[in-house]
Amino acid sequence: MTSAAVIALPTRRVEEWKYSDLRAALGDEGFGSGFARAALGPLPQGLECFYLDDANRPAWVTDVYGTLKSNTVSAVSLALAKGGVALRVRKNQAVEAVTLNFSGAGHVRALLVLEEGASLTLHESLSGSDTRNIGFEIVLGANAQLNHVRLSPAAGAAVQVEEVAITLARHARYHFHNAAFGSKLSRLEMYIALEGEGAEAHLTGVCVINNDHADITTRMHHAVAQTHSTQFFKKVAAGKSRAVYQGKVSVAVGADGVDSRQTAKAILLGSQAEADLKPELEILADDVKCAHGAAVGDLDADSLFYLRARGLSENEARNLLLHAFLEEAIPEMALGLVLDQVNDALERVSA
Amino acid sequence: MLEIKNLHVKVGDKEILKGLNLSLAAGQVHAIMGPNGSGKSTLSYVLAGRAGYDITQGTITYNGEDLGALAPEARAAKGVFLAMQYPVEIPGVTTMMFLKSALNAQRRARGEKELDAIGVLKIVRQKAATLNVSEEMLKRALNVGFSGGEKKRLEILQMKLFEPKLAILDETDSGLDIDALKLVAEGVNSLRDPSRAMLVITHYQRLLDYIVPDRIHVLAKGKIVAEGGKELAKELEAKGYDQIIKDAA
Amino acid sequence: MSSAADTKNTVAALGEKYKYGFVTEIETEKAPKGLNEDTVRYVSAKKNEPAWMLEWRLAAFKRWLDMKEPSWARVHYPKIDYQNAYYYAAPKQTPKLQSLDEVDPKLLETYKKLGIPLNEQMALAGVAVDAVFDSVSVATTFKEKLNEVGVIFCPISEAIRDYPEMVQKYLGTVVPVTDNFFATLNSAVFSDGTFVYVPKGVRCPMELSTYFRINASETGQFERTLIIADEGSYVSYLEGCTAPKRDENQLHAAVVELVALEGAEIKYSTVQNWYPGDENGVGGIFNFVTKRGDCRGDRSKISWTQVETGSAITWKYPSCILRGDGSVGEFYSIAIANHYQQADTGTKMIHIGKNTRSRIISKGISAGKAHNTYRGLVSVLGKADNARNFTQCDSLLIGKECGAHTVPYIESRNPSAKIEHEATTSKIADDQLFYCLQRGLGQEEAVALIVNGFCKEVLQQLPMEFAVEAQKLVGISLEGSVG
Repeated sequence: MTSAAVIALPTRRVEEWKYSDLRAALGDEGFGSGFARAALGPLPQGLECFYLDDANRPAWVTDVYGTLKSNTVSAVSLALAKGGVALRVRKNQAVEAVTLNFSGAGHVRALLVLEEGASLTLHESLSGSDTRNIGFEIVLGANAQLNHVRLSPAAGAAVQVEEVAITLARHARYHFHNAAFGSKLSRLEMYIALEGEGAEAHLTGVCVINNDHADITTRMHHAVAQTHSTQFFKKVAAGKSRAVYQGKVSVAVGADGVDSRQTAKAILLGSQAEADLKPELEILADDVKCAHGAAVGDLDADSLFYLRARGLSENEARNLLLHAFLEEAIPEMALGLVLDQVNDALERVSA
Repeated sequence: MLEIKNLHVKVGDKEILKGLNLSLAAGQVHAIMGPNGSGKSTLSYVLAGRAGYDITQGTITYNGEDLGALAPEARAAKGVFLAMQYPVEIPGVTTMMFLKSALNAQRRARGEKELDAIGVLKIVRQKAATLNVSEEMLKRALNVGFSGGEKKRLEILQMKLFEPKLAILDETDSGLDIDALKLVAEGVNSLRDPSRAMLVITHYQRLLDYIVPDRIHVLAKGKIVAEGGKELAKELEAKGYDQIIKDAA
Repeated sequence: MSSAADTKNTVAALGEKYKYGFVTEIETEKAPKGLNEDTVRYVSAKKNEPAWMLEWRLAAFKRWLDMKEPSWARVHYPKIDYQNAYYYAAPKQTPKLQSLDEVDPKLLETYKKLGIPLNEQMALAGVAVDAVFDSVSVATTFKEKLNEVGVIFCPISEAIRDYPEMVQKYLGTVVPVTDNFFATLNSAVFSDGTFVYVPKGVRCPMELSTYFRINASETGQFERTLIIADEGSYVSYLEGCTAPKRDENQLHAAVVELVALEGAEIKYSTVQNWYPGDENGVGGIFNFVTKRGDCRGDRSKISWTQVETGSAITWKYPSCILRGDGSVGEFYSIAIANHYQQADTGTKMIHIGKNTRSRIISKGISAGKAHNTYRGLVSVLGKADNARNFTQCDSLLIGKECGAHTVPYIESRNPSAKIEHEATTSKIADDQLFYCLQRGLGQEEAVALIVNGFCKEVLQQLPMEFAVEAQKLVGISLEGSVG
């Protein structure tokens, strides 16, 4: 039997899911009837935590939970998920890093609120090869700052989707890095609303996949003037794999002084790999600087030759260049967390 | 030729010029010197009629006419030329194409006959040679990828081409090495003429070694605070702006 | 006055009003209003078509009845009532014209107003013109000179009668009958258009050109163009389009198919200036066009250049199928949308063969309350080793109420392929405008100069004779751009 929740899932005929046919990947089972878990590492001082399976939700949770814009898949997790976690940092508190881990199969939700002037570093990680649907809402108050590093290891035959919806108030800053290693279908969708003047969001990401699928879809909405965003994504796709980047930057009427730049680059290894890039602009204000660039190609032949002429084997040379290609898109805050995984994945694809 | 009386100018909410007086006769070259932020560039823009520079008090009279009431292109047609500190890049529009369009627009406004492409080319070539402006430069898009020196030489070329009555040179020396400076100064000096007035705006005394002014005005905080002959430049060099401004107060 | 306001006023004062908005009083013969099988039979009968052509049309019509109008483009318009239009309108005329002298002088007058040098001046310009007025082709010049080298340049209705094998061999092979809603509609009811065949090794001695004119009211125009460049040949073709000012929206759904065989090159240029509607968005042509070129042979080349300034709605994606090894596709586009115009235009480059190359340069200008979208696909298939694409996609906004959108799809399935895409968005900078004014240029001249500079890379691609005209059109089209 096919449930209503499964029928509602998008197929590739839905424009936004053109390169990631969720319905086909999931089959009639959908996300199943179980619930995934959200677990926190040691709680640093100043971080409040509330588990969503507790019915007595405090006001700071109910005020925002389920209020951010969501796609159809996130709407399903909102409707069906029984648990998950909510986090808050109060006004002007600076909190050290915390880890948030998602595991198990099924739907799960998360909520993070940084009040005015608060700051936090969040290390998000996924574990297990389970089919999972995460819906994550983040609210950043004025001058709040969030550093967010997300690690999504290879998850085999699992179908994993996550939506992160974020709203930023005046001068809030959001730095995000995603390291993705794919699965049968793996997709991160981000909806970022820059709603206060001076707000900025900077996204980076690397992806190394081998016989897998990895999709990052972003929607960067500049709702007001003087907001800034950058996006920089790099992908290496080997074997029979598919790397997807869809990024839409929109600038609202009157949002002058917006500065936005997005870049997506992919390298294909092997004749079965595919890259699909769709960097999109929707501009409704005239005093803006918006640009995007996208490129798909092979490693630079001159560089390869240069390295081999200096004594490196072809494999060593290729590996070195692939490292260099990816490292450009890994910011300082993520290096310690993702570099080992990137190295391992590169070794696997070049073996 | 140019008579500025009690000029107050606002940019946005901020008053930059606060009661400036200046008189410049035909045939004269005057220099405006002043520290950063004294209002030098504002003065040049307000004379040329740039939008956003609002005259709140006072008058600018040019050959008996209220200059403030004219659109920038009308001022250009009447012989006001501003050599800009940062000449603007216009991609896709070749320098030659731009020169022809501007020259003919001015001629049209004055009721003179427009020149055809060959006519313009002849004049431009003749004037370009002395300024070391190459044929190749004229084919490139206006100011796009030009070096600082090339941009300034092109400004002077335009000055030669349009033969203005009132030429305002805004920090023409900035970004020039000594050879380029000499070349530019020679160009300017060759245009000295009993019918033409020039206003040379500069921070440093260096340029005035090559373009020797009849009179120097020191601009500070939106007003002329000191005036003198060409020797004032040397005094400024020796004492510095702070001292001269203090002495004047 | 702020300089932004200055810009608006300038643009408002720019150029003259739409100068092609006149109507020619000429007696027309029309098919009964509406669309059914009989309409298709009527059109076919009017053209004295052979049975196979009628069958082809009827099959298309049958498919069309089951098709849905596409809705994915970023254009909004009231529902089109396909029954409330005439599908065939022709100036009443004697059937065959031997020379220009026989053409109705009113028609010639119209073409004169349109600036088409359809007479002696033509000889000097060296352009051969086919003119399509509403639904029929009225005059083709230079037929003889072209005949000498074996180039066929004639109305497609004539080609269907005179060169049936050739038409049957190629028609519908680039744009299949069922390709999309509008192409299928065209297949059923197309009334005329142009046919070109350039034989092996022939370099067509002159530019070929067709002018399309919609004159009659409540009339749709559905022309069909088929150009075949045989091995090693070359042809450059230009089309221009205008229509009278009317309060109603008129549908134009053309299909253009290009076939380039081994080593052949086709250069196809369009200056599209259909009536865009007035400054309140009333009237104007709905332009739903399917244009596609097939680089069927190795080392063949197809180059599209378009200057799109007219139409209320533009829905158009001239594309290249790069099938032959080493074939080359190019797309150069200027799209200007002012007032309430909506343009959704771009290209598809499908790399199938090895060592195929493509280049896309798109310049979009939005003003007034208009929306301008670039939509493009670069697709490299698995066997297209060493395929190369470069895309540059720039948008210029004039005013605060317009929109510029960029929707590129980049799909690569070959590791040796290299695709590069760049896009920028900008406005006319205040300092650029001031610089021009200070040197004596008027506001309108300054804006036209800067916009033409922005478009230069594309203007350069047009044949000389038309580049100057296109440059003027760029300025005129921005008239009254911000209300």
